[in-house]
Amino acid sequence: MSEPLLVLDNVTKNYGAIEALKGISFSIGKGEVVALLGDNGAGKSTLVKIIAGGLEPTSGRMLFEGKEFLARSPAEAKAAGIETVYQDLSLCTNVDVVANFFMGREITRKVLGIPVLDERAMEAVVGKALASAGTRIPSLRTNVEHLSGGQRQAIELNRFVHWGGKLVLLDEPFAALGVEQTRRGLDMIRQVASQGIGVVIITHIMQQAFQVADRIVVIRQGVVAGDVARNKTSPDAVINMITGETLAGAGPAG
Amino acid sequence: MNPRTRHALEFVLDNLVWFMLLLVLVVFSLFIPNYFQLGIFANIIEASSVLGVMSIGLALVIIAGHMDLSVESVAALSAMAVGILFCSSGIGLGVQLHPEWLMVPVSLLLALAVGGLIGAFNGYLVVKVKMSAFIITLASYIWVRGLVLVISGGRSAQDLAPAIRWFGIQRLIGLPLTAWIAVACFVVFSLIMAKTPFGRHLVMIGGNETATFRAGIRVNRNLIIAFVLAGAIAGLAGWLLAIRTSGATANLGVGLLFNAFAAVVIGGVSLKGGVGTLPGVYAGVLLLSAINTAINLMGLPANFTQVIHGLLVLAAVLLDAFKQTIRQRLA
Repeated sequence: MSEPLLVLDNVTKNYGAIEALKGISFSIGKGEVVALLGDNGAGKSTLVKIIAGGLEPTSGRMLFEGKEFLARSPAEAKAAGIETVYQDLSLCTNVDVVANFFMGREITRKVLGIPVLDERAMEAVVGKALASAGTRIPSLRTNVEHLSGGQRQAIELNRFVHWGGKLVLLDEPFAALGVEQTRRGLDMIRQVASQGIGVVIITHIMQQAFQVADRIVVIRQGVVAGDVARNKTSPDAVINMITGETLAGAGPAG
Repeated sequence: MNPRTRHALEFVLDNLVWFMLLLVLVVFSLFIPNYFQLGIFANIIEASSVLGVMSIGLALVIIAGHMDLSVESVAALSAMAVGILFCSSGIGLGVQLHPEWLMVPVSLLLALAVGGLIGAFNGYLVVKVKMSAFIITLASYIWVRGLVLVISGGRSAQDLAPAIRWFGIQRLIGLPLTAWIAVACFVVFSLIMAKTPFGRHLVMIGGNETATFRAGIRVNRNLIIAFVLAGAIAGLAGWLLAIRTSGATANLGVGLLFNAFAAVVIGGVSLKGGVGTLPGVYAGVLLLSAINTAINLMGLPANFTQVIHGLLVLAAVLLDAFKQTIRQRLA
């Protein structure tokens, strides 16, 4: 495995008396694509939120680029270079495509010392980013509420490809995409990873995981039930890990 | 539909309230004797300055997806604080500063500080303690008005220091300086909302707070600033109110809140948050003022104004729904 980018060491999360994560340990290398699989309620989304700064872990520690890491807010995670695409889309439908693309990172120029939005510069960047990804949106100035589900998801995906960072977390990013767009999305993931960015992708679709991932990590009932290289396993073996027919709750394997 | 008609239609929809204002002014000018005069138009702008300033603060908070019912009481408290210190009769203490002009910045800062503090209090409870803005600011609406009654003992302060009143008397191109202050506020805050990252963030927070938080925008900080601004702007409205009435009474400004609400809604701001612009709100304020002036000129009993304002708010909400359906067809 390449140099580890993010290491999770026995991360737990309790909601009151409920243990959502009972101790998760695995690592992600630079330029590596890890597919995170698991049944509904296994704790995948909780884990993503902990890495992305949306939730704080109850115990355990994380190392990011070899240093102790804990994001107390999404802003901190972003500052460290972690980009996240959530399952429920994170778009503001009441503003246009450009505003969404640059949400929180607007290009400004100073007028009398006051930061003023540089709309023209931002529109140019968005136009270029969408064009290079082959996404067609009639006008970048339309409010997102008038766009289709696929167009919205394309904006999100292009956003993470553009901003990149060091680690990208994708929580079921292709839920609303068609066949062709999904294929392009998977290509995008490989392309991002080839730049040395680590990628964690949560998905329910086994075929996608095997298409794109280098390694497959299965979470079951809050623990890692399997952590295997893609080329050393098969969809059937992974399904067994998810449903618990092998290694039921036995902790990290291999 | 070709792009040009579509563009024109979108322009009309975006600025509908301005067209309504224009229509109302034309109709009144044609049918009400003596309405078509520069003096009348100046009066419409002048009479709307206090309401206009207050509506700005209210609109900011509503666009950010929250609510501030306390603006009216906050304006009254600021006016009373200025009145008690700088009025020479009634309960006024008649504080004198030398040179005299010093009373202007001091009274203004006092009004802004009183408003800003209450805004910060509201904002803290809403954002940090995560309580409903409606309930928190309703409570403030009540206790702040109560505080006005307590510190005034129900009595009034009269004869504001001439140095401060100068703003209500001195005219520039036919309008008193107080009206220009209101216009300037609209220009400044319209620019802030449309052109700066802060304004853009407020609109986005009103649209989808979770998304903005995930995007790393400091939502809590921005929201607290919005509440502080709403309070401080209400304080400024109170300062203007004190100048206008040359003092302060315990029931000063009662009913302004609902007019401000009407203006904001008529101006195209959605109570759901995330939608609306300040120029629209100003048009809403002017529209209300134009109608009030018409009622006065026609010699109708003033009680009619309330009925008309209520119907106007209703019309604005219906119009908003209608606009939505047209926009969906356009998309």
